[in-house]
Amino acid sequence: MKIVEKCRWAVMAQKWTQTIRIWWGQYTAYRINFFLQVIGPVLVFFFVKFSLWTEIYKGMGATPENPITIGGFTLDGMLQYHGWILVFSMLTQGNANFDLSTDIRLGKISTYLIYPFNFWEYHTAGFLAFQTLEWPVAFFTGSVLTIFNVIHCPSVLTLMGLLMLAMFISVLQFALQFLSGLVAFWLEETWVLRVLLNITTTFLSGAVIPLDLFPEALRAVLAYSPFPYMVYYPVKVAMGQLSLEPQVFLILTAWTLVFAALNVLVWRRGLRLYTGAGM
Amino acid sequence: MMEYVIESQNLSKTFRSYEKNPGLRGAIRSLWHRPYKESHAVDDFNLQVKSGEMIALLGPNGAGKTTIMKMWTGIIVPSSGQVQVIGHDPWKRDKQFRKKIALVMGQKSQLWWDIPALDSFLLLQKYYEIPDNEFKQRLDMLSTILQVQDKLKIHVRKLSLGERMKLELLASFLHSPDIIFLDEPTIGLDLVAQENIRNFLLDYHRQHQCTIVVTSHYMADVEALCKRLILIIGGTKHFDGPIEQFTQILGKNKIVTFNFSQAIDHTLDLWSDFEPTWNEMRTQVALRVPMEKLKDVTVQILNQFPVSEFSTEKLPIERVMKKILENPSLTKWGQPSS
Repeated sequence: MKIVEKCRWAVMAQKWTQTIRIWWGQYTAYRINFFLQVIGPVLVFFFVKFSLWTEIYKGMGATPENPITIGGFTLDGMLQYHGWILVFSMLTQGNANFDLSTDIRLGKISTYLIYPFNFWEYHTAGFLAFQTLEWPVAFFTGSVLTIFNVIHCPSVLTLMGLLMLAMFISVLQFALQFLSGLVAFWLEETWVLRVLLNITTTFLSGAVIPLDLFPEALRAVLAYSPFPYMVYYPVKVAMGQLSLEPQVFLILTAWTLVFAALNVLVWRRGLRLYTGAGM
Repeated sequence: MMEYVIESQNLSKTFRSYEKNPGLRGAIRSLWHRPYKESHAVDDFNLQVKSGEMIALLGPNGAGKTTIMKMWTGIIVPSSGQVQVIGHDPWKRDKQFRKKIALVMGQKSQLWWDIPALDSFLLLQKYYEIPDNEFKQRLDMLSTILQVQDKLKIHVRKLSLGERMKLELLASFLHSPDIIFLDEPTIGLDLVAQENIRNFLLDYHRQHQCTIVVTSHYMADVEALCKRLILIIGGTKHFDGPIEQFTQILGKNKIVTFNFSQAIDHTLDLWSDFEPTWNEMRTQVALRVPMEKLKDVTVQILNQFPVSEFSTEKLPIERVMKKILENPSLTKWGQPSS
């Protein structure tokens, strides 16, 4: 019995490994496109914030001798905050170009409905493949920012904890992205919805402005949402201003399970509406 | 072995879509006014298919053939009715069911575009849990028959349509499916490629006795591959029977073609009874002649006109099909029970 069980796991592992290989092949077929996709948006966003906050502090008369603070952040602290966001975005953003909705609308998922490997498994393998390619880029970026003294490397133990946290956050992000893609079963175009989701997540997670600058009431409400744990919290831990609490992993897991359950529900309902267009 | 591998009872599928007027005005108006329309793609469809049969679903565009195939493969869920394929409810999409079927879509590639086909096959090997030695053996066998041994390591996007189609077939046959659904497998291919694929399907069926369901607009595919034909028009079954019976829907006729050594007067009354098809020069005519009149008419024309050559053939299935599409009520004549 145990041998049968062991074999089943081995067969499953082979399916996943081979699917990840296929995804690697697809991602690296267009190398420049891949690197632009991984680095482009987050790097541009970082430089916009870098210039913006530098000008704000300058405008307020901040100098090395007279370090002004905004929400408890000096200019160096603010730039470090956004430097960490850049690294964390790379570690957790998942497949930013994930366009599940087009696959549904144009009937491309028909093929995957036939194979004895589920659609969600196929895309989850794609997510894992993307992460494995993206993490080295994130490590490189983190090293460059450390060398240029924008961010400061935390202790090895904190770093290990942060990497673990990044994994949990990226899974949550993936579950959210998958859900927004599945809405295509009902809506013909979902890009507006996805942009809205992106902007909301970016803003409420503290990726534009640190949550310290948000009104107290809003912060209290946000504490019940997954957003603060996606950017603000890990960045503050990386900066040594908060400690890594085990319950955060539980909160992230709970939210991931909520979105996973919603995905199952929406998938089942949506598939009843699927017409397999274009075949 | 079970007797029927496909059983459909009162199978129906209704699609709901809204109508939108063209242009900006239509787009804005559609924001609050959306007249929805229901269309019955498949209506009360009954069919039983025995194991090892090779059947063709025929019909004009939008007749419902592909919708039926999608329901049989579990891609879409029926609006009502019952369907069982190899003892499974396709819509539940059990993995065991998915391992027993294959679907080839002529208009949609199933291979991964940016990688060589061999990588896709290796992935399918894992998905269908095909042992290494069996996989190698089948890959060798299929690639040899389909003559694509030298195409396996080339990126799919760089292959011609014919080569890609062969590889699509190869991918679908790797796991020895019990039922193979082929949706227009020869669409867009040249005549040689079409014939190669038909020959491959015939050989494969002869050796493995699997069940094959084909939809195609090319009557040559249907004639070469299938003994049983199901005609679907407007989502309902109009004919189900042997191909020979189908060609006799318009009566027991033969097509007789005469070539003349000089131009002939095509306005004579003689021709009008036999649906004549003339060439531009009026030196060739094809007539549809009832079997009982065949001898008399042929003798009369041979005696009366300077015939240089003549030939007879069965009524081509294309011609029957065209007539039926022009007048679907013709099929009421022969609608045997399934």
